[in-house]
Amino acid sequence: MIHKPTSALILVGHGSTVNADSSAPTFDHAAEIARRGVFGEVYGAFWKEEPSLRQVLHMVEADEIYVVPNFISEGYFTRTVIPRELELTGPVTQRDGRTIKYCEPVGSHARMTELLLHRAAEIAPGVPPEKTSVFIVGHGTDLNDNSAVAAKREVERIAARGIYGEVLNAYMEEEPLISKWDEYAAQPNVIVVPFFIADGLHSYEDIPVLLGIATESPGAASANAKAVFAGNPYHRRGRTLYYASAIGTEPLFADVILEQVAAFDAAQATAVVA
Amino acid sequence: MQNVNQALRAWLEAGGREIGEIHIESADDGFTLRHCGDDSRADLKSFTGAEAARELAHYDDAGAFRPLKTAPDLRHGWRLTVADLADLRRALDYFYPAMTAVWLSHTRGDLRVVPLRETLDRQTGMYRVTQKITDDQAQRLVGDFCRSDGGCLKRILWPLAPGCPITTLPAEKFSSDGAFGILPLLCHEACNLLVAKAREVVKKAGLPS
Repeated sequence: MIHKPTSALILVGHGSTVNADSSAPTFDHAAEIARRGVFGEVYGAFWKEEPSLRQVLHMVEADEIYVVPNFISEGYFTRTVIPRELELTGPVTQRDGRTIKYCEPVGSHARMTELLLHRAAEIAPGVPPEKTSVFIVGHGTDLNDNSAVAAKREVERIAARGIYGEVLNAYMEEEPLISKWDEYAAQPNVIVVPFFIADGLHSYEDIPVLLGIATESPGAASANAKAVFAGNPYHRRGRTLYYASAIGTEPLFADVILEQVAAFDAAQATAVVA
Repeated sequence: MQNVNQALRAWLEAGGREIGEIHIESADDGFTLRHCGDDSRADLKSFTGAEAARELAHYDDAGAFRPLKTAPDLRHGWRLTVADLADLRRALDYFYPAMTAVWLSHTRGDLRVVPLRETLDRQTGMYRVTQKITDDQAQRLVGDFCRSDGGCLKRILWPLAPGCPITTLPAEKFSSDGAFGILPLLCHEACNLLVAKAREVVKKAGLPS
C-alpha cells in the first residue's frame, strides 16, 4: 500500500451547478483518503464547483502532487479540460519547483471489475449467480467520452470470470437500450449497475423509469430519490430485478484511487528503465 | 498545509474574526463558527467537526443547492464547533473553498491574476463561443453576476483585459484589502459559472458561434 506523507493528492471531479450529488463521491473519497493519512494533503477539485482547477494548486503546499481524475473513462475532460486548466504538459509536469503527476482516471483501473462484482453481489445476496443476468449501464451518447467503451470492457471482463449466467451492456439513449432489459436478459434474476461516477438524475430517476421501477417525477428528482435503491428486489416483467446505485459511490473507490497512484508510479519506473 | 494553517493562526491571533458571512470565535475546545447574521439568535442548531461544514455550505436557507460558495446566501441557524486549527481550515475549505490559500498566495505576491479575456480565450468545446462576447456585454454581465449584493462576495482582482478594468461595479469590489478582522475573499480568475453565463449571453445575442 502506498504511503506518501510528503506528497499531495488532488482528486478531480466534474461537479454540478444544479445539485450536490455530482461532487459527493469525490468529496467522500477525498475525505476517506485524508482520514487514512496516506498523503500529507488531500483535496477535491472540480470543473463546475469549488475549489476549481484554477484555485486548487494554491491550496497545495507539497512539492509532489498526484492528480487523479475521478472520471469513469478517458475522454474530453481527462484529455483536454483538466490538463488545460491545471496547465499540465504531460504525465509529469515540472513547474515552480513542483512536480505534478497526472494519473489515469479511476474508472480505467483494472480493479473496477472487482468493484462491479462486489456491488452486484452486495445488492443481490443469496441470489444464484448462474441464474442471473447482470447489466452494466452507461450513458451512451457522450460524443467525446469513452464511457460506453469502458462499460463494454467491464462487461467482457466480468463475463470472462464465468460467475454470472450472463453479463450485458446497455445504454440509456442508444442500443442496446436498458429499457428493453427484459428482452435481452435470459435469466430469471437481473442485476443492474449504473456505470457512473455519481448518483443523480440518471441513476435516481432516468434509469429507474426505463426499467419500469419508477415513474417520472415533475421537475428535478425528489429529495427521497435514494429510496429507489431501497426497494430491491423489484418484481417486473416476470423477473426479479435488483437495482444498484452508481458504481462511483462505492466506498472501495478510495482504494482504486490509491491504486491508480501506484499504477502511475509503476508506469513511470518502467518508462525510466526502458 | 502548514503554511496556510500558520497564516490562519496568525490572522486569528491578530484579531481575525470574519470570513465571508462566517464569524469565527476561539473557544476552550477549539473554534466555533456561525453565520455573521446570527449573533443575536439563541436557537442555533449545533454541529461538530469539519465534515459537517460540507452539508451546511451546500444549501441555502430555502434548501436550494449553492453552486457558488461565495454567493451571499449562506444558510443561517447553525453553530459549528471544530476541534483545532487543522479542522478549522478544513471547515473553511468547505464553506469558502480555497479562499484561505488564495489569500495567503496573494499576501506572498504569488497570485497570478488572469484577465477575463485570457480565461475566455482558453475555453474549448461548448464554452469556446464565449470568446465572442463583446466588451460591453462582458461589462454588463460582470456588473450583474458578480455584484456583492446577491451575486458573489469575492473581490475581483482581474481586469476585462490588460489595461481595461471592469467599470460596472463600485471601486471597493476591486480592493484586495480586508477590513480589520476580516479575511478577504479574492477572485484571481473568473469562475466557470461566469464563463457559463457568458455563453448564455453570446447565445442569446444570436452571434454566430
